Amino acid sequence: MSEIYRKFGRTLRYENGTIVRSDEAGEAIEDAQTFTCRPIAHTVELPPIDGGAIDETVSEIHSIVRAPLKIERLIVSEGIAEHQFGDRRWRETTRRVHVAITFRALRALIDLGDFDLADVRMISGALVRAVPVEAGTHTEARIRLAPNVSAALLPALLGLVPPNIQLTQTAGGFDGKGSAIETCDVSIGQWPNWFRPSYRVRPVRAPFSLRASCDVTQIVEDLPRAIALLAPIERLTMSVLCVRGATVFPATVRVARIDAVSEAVRWYPYGAGSFGAEMML
Amino acid sequence: MIDSKHFAIVTRDESWSLGSRLVTESRLIHGSADQRGATIDARDDRDDELLVLCDRESDRVREAIASLREGRARAVVTARSDSGVSATISLSVRDLSVVTTLPHLAADYEMLIDLASVSAIADAGDLGVPLVWRNGSGAVLMHEAAGHPAEDDQPTLEWPSWLRVETPLAMRRESFTDVPLRRMAQVTVTCVEAGFSPPSSRYIEILLVAGGRYEPLADRVSLSISAANRIDGNESIRLRPFMIDEPRESIARSLRGASGDVRRYPGVICSKEGQNVFVGSHSPDLVTEFR
Repeated sequence: MSEIYRKFGRTLRYENGTIVRSDEAGEAIEDAQTFTCRPIAHTVELPPIDGGAIDETVSEIHSIVRAPLKIERLIVSEGIAEHQFGDRRWRETTRRVHVAITFRALRALIDLGDFDLADVRMISGALVRAVPVEAGTHTEARIRLAPNVSAALLPALLGLVPPNIQLTQTAGGFDGKGSAIETCDVSIGQWPNWFRPSYRVRPVRAPFSLRASCDVTQIVEDLPRAIALLAPIERLTMSVLCVRGATVFPATVRVARIDAVSEAVRWYPYGAGSFGAEMML
Repeated sequence: MIDSKHFAIVTRDESWSLGSRLVTESRLIHGSADQRGATIDARDDRDDELLVLCDRESDRVREAIASLREGRARAVVTARSDSGVSATISLSVRDLSVVTTLPHLAADYEMLIDLASVSAIADAGDLGVPLVWRNGSGAVLMHEAAGHPAEDDQPTLEWPSWLRVETPLAMRRESFTDVPLRRMAQVTVTCVEAGFSPPSSRYIEILLVAGGRYEPLADRVSLSISAANRIDGNESIRLRPFMIDEPRESIARSLRGASGDVRRYPGVICSKEGQNVFVGSHSPDLVTEFR
């Protein structure tokens, strides 16, 4: 039996100095063997996107990230979409920020699911004080992860989660086939929902809005704290920007165990979403 | 050259399981972009003339792919208002893959089948031996070491006097919602001096490159080698995939010479800012030695 999914979307995107306004509508048909997709008529009216919030966000990021820091890449977007799957209809709005900030040979990567720029401020303030890579690169065994860093780690933990950690899908919204996303334990690798980031992408099972929890929630405050990713996570190895007192330095962290996780504080757009929390390795 | 006012595109993107003769995925993508200053208005409307051109070429590609019997294929056929019709075909057999174009499909598929028929049985080990970049793969090395730095306006290195590397840049975009970027159109490596003799006894010959990356902050190049042989006298051993990661200056210093005719590397799909574009690649056999 064929499944038919339709999406009507409108996005506004700032990308490194260029504004892209985009209107698209498309249909994906999938059966057991074949996935096909194509554009369709725009039969659903979508509201306009006011670019004011994007303009303000871009302007604020430029005011936060000042020389000697450089913005290597800045993408700020807002979108609205109506989805249809069978007789199900649902709408969603999205906001995304991706910014890469460089200082000497370091590059901090920031991905946000809203326009709250607290992480950009924190990371920019620290990055400009970072010691040169040659003098500061080392491996940290015990470390705290800031919420934006732990959120990026969670998708990499799928299938590898330590026994003292529970990974949970958080309820909210609908998946790529219109089913409500419910809270469930995803530590053992069974995912009830489908992730479909675009109508052109064949949906795959994935856990949504991951959240990690641990019986131990107390974080030792005097450990160095990883506050930014310096590269995408590869397996369970992270290149991070660390702060210890007044010292800021790059470090490599190999995640072998997780000792504590505090309350999740913010959603980030890693994988099909993950919540960041202070985490202690 | 990108039309600064109006751009239109039609793309058919199809994937096949060659053994079972099945089309597993099929995408039709079309749209246009109107650029005024720093604003692009993109919409998925359809240019019927481009659709006819795209479909005509897609039929030719399907017919050619129908003769292949093993592995997987993905064909991306595009008709564009700025540069006509093009087709790139990615072929995968076991752990190896190449990207090619319709005129070279049969020859590159044959090469891929041949490469995939040999099992990798040893680690690369010492990379201090001479590396001989066969099959035009030297163009991939220079794509990363010279092409991307040129895109990023990095300082030019002093390359050996016998080496010529041409990486013409043009404004390119993958599709209608993308921002045009200054990208390489092709990489052509030539040698302007004759008489170099490649190593004859102990060396590694590089046959296929799975991917590469240039890191501008560290000025380093990394390449993922998917097929290579270690040659020791008359013995040839297929090596497991390995990485080469070197500062760009080290690559310039490592270049020892070139020999043979300029050969076409099957092709490179270059990804930047999330936009994938095909880059034609040509080079004679290059010899490098990292010490």
